Formats: sequence, C-alpha cells, structure tokens
Amino acid sequence: MKLNFFKACKAAAVGLSLAACVGAVTNAEAAPNFPRKQIQIVVPYAPGGASDVVARIYGKELEGVLGKPVIIVNRTGASGAIGLESVKNARPDGYTMSYMPVESTMLKALGIAEVSSDDFDFVCRIMTIPAAITVSADAPWNTLDEFLTYAKENPGKVLVGNSGSGSIWHVAAASLAKAAGVEFTHVPFDGAAPAIAGLLGKNITAVAVSPAEVKANVDAGQFKVLAVIGDAHSSVVPDVKTTRELGYDVTAMGWGGFAVPKGTPEEVVQILSDASAKVAQSENLKSLLKERGFEYAPLTGTEMDAFAKDQLDQYSQLIPELLGKK
Amino acid sequence: MDMSLWWDSFLAILTPEVLMFNAAGVLIGIVIGALPGLSATMAIAILTPITFWFDPSCGFAMLIGVWNSAIFAGGITAILINTPGTPASIASTFDGYQMYRQGRGGLALGINVIYSAIGGIISTLFLIFLAFPIASFTVSFGPTEYFMLALFGLMMMISVSENNVVKGMAVGFAGLTLSTVGIDPILAVKRYTMDSTSLAAGISFLPVMIGMFGLGEVLNQMYEYKQSTAGSALEMLKKASAKLGRILPTWKEFKQFFRPTVLAGAESTIIGAIPAAGADIASIICWGQAKKLSKNPDEYGKGSAEGFAVSCTSNNGVLGGALTTMLTLGIPGDAVTAILIGSLMMYGMQPGPKMFTEDTGFVMQIMQLMILSNIAIVVFGLLSAKMSAKILNARPQTVWVGVTALCVVGSYALNNSFSDVLLMAAAGVVGFIFKRGGFAPGPFILGLLLGGMLESNLRRALVMSQGSLDIFFERPVTLVLMILIALTLCFPLIKKAVLKRRKAA
Repeated sequence: MKLNFFKACKAAAVGLSLAACVGAVTNAEAAPNFPRKQIQIVVPYAPGGASDVVARIYGKELEGVLGKPVIIVNRTGASGAIGLESVKNARPDGYTMSYMPVESTMLKALGIAEVSSDDFDFVCRIMTIPAAITVSADAPWNTLDEFLTYAKENPGKVLVGNSGSGSIWHVAAASLAKAAGVEFTHVPFDGAAPAIAGLLGKNITAVAVSPAEVKANVDAGQFKVLAVIGDAHSSVVPDVKTTRELGYDVTAMGWGGFAVPKGTPEEVVQILSDASAKVAQSENLKSLLKERGFEYAPLTGTEMDAFAKDQLDQYSQLIPELLGKK
Repeated sequence: MDMSLWWDSFLAILTPEVLMFNAAGVLIGIVIGALPGLSATMAIAILTPITFWFDPSCGFAMLIGVWNSAIFAGGITAILINTPGTPASIASTFDGYQMYRQGRGGLALGINVIYSAIGGIISTLFLIFLAFPIASFTVSFGPTEYFMLALFGLMMMISVSENNVVKGMAVGFAGLTLSTVGIDPILAVKRYTMDSTSLAAGISFLPVMIGMFGLGEVLNQMYEYKQSTAGSALEMLKKASAKLGRILPTWKEFKQFFRPTVLAGAESTIIGAIPAAGADIASIICWGQAKKLSKNPDEYGKGSAEGFAVSCTSNNGVLGGALTTMLTLGIPGDAVTAILIGSLMMYGMQPGPKMFTEDTGFVMQIMQLMILSNIAIVVFGLLSAKMSAKILNARPQTVWVGVTALCVVGSYALNNSFSDVLLMAAAGVVGFIFKRGGFAPGPFILGLLLGGMLESNLRRALVMSQGSLDIFFERPVTLVLMILIALTLCFPLIKKAVLKRRKAA
C-alpha cells in the first residue's frame, strides 16, 4: 500500500511537471498566437449612446476577423474617466481594449482625472464628429457672420447650449467665440438631448452639438445649421460650410477610436491594428456611421497615436485658456 | 387619423411572429425588471442589436414588450423584498412591501399587474389623441421649470418621513448633501472626491437604493430574528408569505381607486413627456399628490392599496409620455427612448415631426404595440403572480442569503464596478442604522435622487439669467409650479384651520 501511494505521488508529480512544460510552451508562443480567448472592449459611456453603438458594431466585426468572442462592457461616470482608468490599470495583454473618445485628450486639462490618451496605444480611429452651430429656424440670422455680429453687439446675451461643462461641444463653441472675438454665455446641459430640447423650447439661443443630433429638427424645418466646426463638411448637412471656410480658424471636433493600455506587446498591438483596419473596411460599420450621421474617418494605430498626441497638446493649452481652468 | 390606416396597421401587427416577439419581450422584461440592478435600459440596449435581424415590426414588438414589462416587474421585487427592481418603482416600496408584510401580498402583486397595465394604456391613449398638444407644452420646460419639479418631488420627503418629520428632514438633507459629491455640473470641477476617480463619478443613486432598501432590510430582519428567539418575527413573516390572500381587487376597491389612478395616469404621461424628467420623479410626485387628495391619507406609506395602485399606474404611465416626446419632437425623454431612436434610425426612419406624416403606419403600429404589450402584461403577470411570491416561501435564512446575493450582483451589474458593491454594502449598514434609529430611508433616497436635478437646474437657470433670480418669476409655468408648491406646504395648515372653525361653529 505504501509503495503504491508513493508511486501514485510520483506519477502525479510527473504529470504535473509535464503539464507545466506544456503550459510554458504555450505561454512562450502567446504573443504571436493572439488572441486565444475572449476580448473585452470597455465603453466609458452608457449603453445605447453613440459610442456604445459604434463599439458594438466594431466588436461584432472584430469578432469575425479574429475568430474569438468580443464583448462590450459599459463603465460610465466622470465624463468617461472611470472606464478609461479601468482599462489603463488592466493587464496590458491586448485582451482589454477601450473605446477612446476625444475626451481622453481633455480630461487631464479639465482636472477631472489623471488618465489621458498618453496612457494608451491606439489601434485605430473610426470616425470624426463635427459640431454644428444650430439656431431656431425662425431666428433672424441666416449666416454665421450675422449671428456673430449679433453676438458681438450683445455680449453675453447669446445663450449657447452644449452637452456638458468641459464637453467637446463646449470647447468647440468657446473656441469659436475666441476666434470671432465675441462673448457667449455657455449653458451646459446633462447631455445633448436636453440641450436640443432647450433650443426647441426657446430657452436658449443656439446649440453646439453634433449634426446627427439636430438632423430630425433640421429636416422638420424647426432648426437651421449656420456652420459646422470640423475638418470637412458633414454628410448630414452637406451644404453647410465649415467655420474654417467661413474665415474662422477653429477645428474642435469629436472623434472615436480604439486603444489598448500602454505596455501591451508590440506584436499584439500590430495584430489588433491590422484587424481594425479590416473592420474599418466593413460595409456594416460604414452604413452604421452613415445612418447615425458620423463621418467615416479611419486612421491606423500609428497615425492615431500621433494625432492623439497632437490633440492632447492642443487641449492642454486651449482648455485652461478657454474655460479658465488651472 | 384615418380609420382605415389604423385598421391596416392593426392587421400588420396581428401576425403570429409579431405576437410571438411581443410575448417573448414581455417575458424577458419580467425577468430582467424583477432583478434589482438590471434595468429596462440595460435590457433594451443589449437586445437592440439582435432586433436588427428582424423585421421592424417584430423588432419593435420585442423592445416595446421588454420596456413595458420591465417597468412593471420592478414592482414585484419592491413588494416582495422591499428593493425596487428599477428606479421607476421606488414609490412602489412605500406601500407595496407593507402590504406584503400585512399578509396582503397577493393583492399587492395583483394591483401591480393590473394598474401597471392601466397606466400604460391610459398614457398610450393620451399619446394617440393628444400627442402634439402635450409635446408643445412640455418642450417649453426650461431649467427653472425643472428646478420647480425637483423641488415638488422633494416636498414628498414629508410624506415619506413615516412618523417623525424632523428625523425625515434630517436624513433628507443628508441625502441632498451627498448628491453634491462628484463633478460640478456647471463648472466641471471636482467636489469632495478625495482624489478618487470612483468618487468623481458621484455617489450613484442605484447602489445606494439597493443597499438601503434591500440589504438594510435583511440586516434588520436578522437583528429582530435574534432578539425574538421565540421566533415571533419569523412566525409573522411566514404567515405573511404563506397567506398571500386574494390577488384581484374587489369591485369596491376598483371604484375607490378609479379617480386617483386615472389622475395619476394623466399626470405621469405629462411628466413623462417632459424631456428630462423620468419615471422615478413621476411616480413620487403622483403618489404624493394622491395622498393629498385621498380620503385616507394616513394609510399612505403604511400599506395603502390605493397609494400602491397610484404608484403602479404612474410608473408605467410615463412610457406613453416618453414616446410622445420621442415621436413628435425626435428628442429622447429618457435613456430607453434614446436607444429606440437609434434603432428607428437603423430601420431608416427618422423620429421627429416628419415621422407622423412619412411613416404614419409605423407610428400607429408602435401605439398599438404599447396596448398589446400591456394586455400581455396582464395575462403573464396574473399567471405568474402566485408563483413569484412562492419563491419567498423559503426559510428566512435562505431568503436573506438570496436577497443579499441579488443586491451584490445587481449593484455590480449596474456599471461593472466593485466600488458600487462597496457603496451598496455601506448603504446597507446605514439603512440598518436608520431603521433601528427610527429614521425613514425614503427621504434620504429622495434627496440623493433629486439633488442633482435640483442643483444643476437652479445653477443653469442662474447662468442663463446671469445671476438674476427674476428668471423664476418671469416664466408662467414656473410661477404656477411655485404656487402649487406653496399650496402643498400650506394645505395641512389650511385644512386644520377650516376643521377648527367648523367644529367651533
């Protein structure tokens, strides 16, 4: 009996070490053999919002390209800082990704959190979202110039709604005011919808939100868009000129991409970047962006790293100036 | 609207597939709504991508079914374990759980089914006949009106203070104070966050509510159980759960509830149609108003079937209102309608004023699906009422473990966050201490819930007026609300004076 027990122990030990060897071998191969399990994408905003919908379609397409399940997790709060911080602190192995909004380059300057786009390696950018300077259809101004002239003559009288204090639309409107040398009273709402309701109910003079969010009311003849702030014309209101074309040097726009925490092995970042480039070509993604009124504007991971760095520098300087933050 | 169009769209939804998807949606909604922490919003966000594979009418049949029934099912847990399954059923805990403890759990479950459906149907009727007038009134609501609404909601602190108004006010203001933790709504600076990102997100209301009502109640029962070794508390509970009593209200009760519930249905439709006011505040305001107008206001909060019927009607009544804003203005009245707008866009429709003219048939289908879902709720709800209560017939220890597990899972599932679980646990302990000290948790929850709305709209109004308080007196709707609030506060005093004079005479 004793011997048998000894034998059994020995066999178990051999078995264990064998298993350990196998484990070690697969571990060594882990990096190029990515992914081997489910990938999680953290969206720092609520389910159903614009970023959530885009992330869900991206995740579904990524699943097809990589052949492993991709799940979406929403972690909301503090203008996105909660979700971003959770990814920043996750193990940098490529299995935890984050949806990256423009806010990732703004939170630090706003003083809300320490996390910034510098803590991540991008794998792609998917879209950009311009801001639409929108007023009621029966407002007396038909061009941006007329509107800004009125604002100049009535400093502080023009109430411009935005989707939250320190949001990209707030910064966009503040940049426009600075470029035009006028004074707006910025009215922050809890999201774009209440701001739009505020304009519909004539509680405010104008809103700066994304074109898609005002499209229904523009189509119905309740609103008119005076200008878009962004790189290019918006596909939602293609006839409206950009502020730059109208002679004001402002481009503050929203964008959305995906990233992994810094420290992720280069091979893994590469695999995800390549996969994302394929996803970006998918018709499903393109048609979703079109339906939702976002501009399809893909960038590769490396291009996006450079772009985000640029944005981070820009906002770190601009936000304290515009919003009087230290 | 054209009758033949109605008939055509009615035939379009009367297909086996649409009915099946609707029934499936209602069943999913009952399960998700009854689990604390899993909200209607979450269910719909997860199901929406799946519905893109279906025909629009099937997809919407499912989503509208889930939405209506999740709100209704939130009341089931409010009755059975004192924890509202969704924030919309917060007012259902005031009376529902008391009814259950008094051995009238069956009636409470029955009222929840019937009056939720009635609320949904009343509000859909408003949507059908008065959508445009309601929407043009509610869209004029600005920050000053929202501030007054929040203040109106806070008045209900007095009603839910149970026996001690001073203690109620004390915890109410503690709740208000806690709601200021987080990022300042106007200046975007951090307040009381102690450099923690979790706190920068604020003290979220849902984990606190789950902890205070659910875990707090469990702790309290455990404490009382130990004290009464004879097991009188246990006996009482067992008796209560074994004897559910009848489910359907009597004809007399039905007549008694008629006026307050129809009023609540109308009120909640209008509150639901206000773009930034939701089911939670609607049910609180309606419950408080019904109490003021009731013949037996003292019963409210102590197991009043009438009060419970009002809160059930009003939380489902909001849905028709939210759809009104969504369909007529194209702006979401709450998180669920925001998602529904997204999925309508995916189907190539643009919600907003033009949808009524361009996709008239589908608008009618949505309205009919609302009615259909509410009928399905009555069928499934009544069939499952006895069954859902049976689950709690287990030994109290089992129930405690089960409820605690639900509280933990629910608070984690909200935002996938452990700090929410810790917050829930802390709120549970505080809730227990409140209970032992005779402090009602209701005012605390109200303060925390409405604090943000109160503060941000007050300050938004002051930003708009550049610091002048005149803005509160210049707007007619604000003034009317202000007068209503003043009347609510003075009503008991006036009533007393009148009674005295009558007695003297």
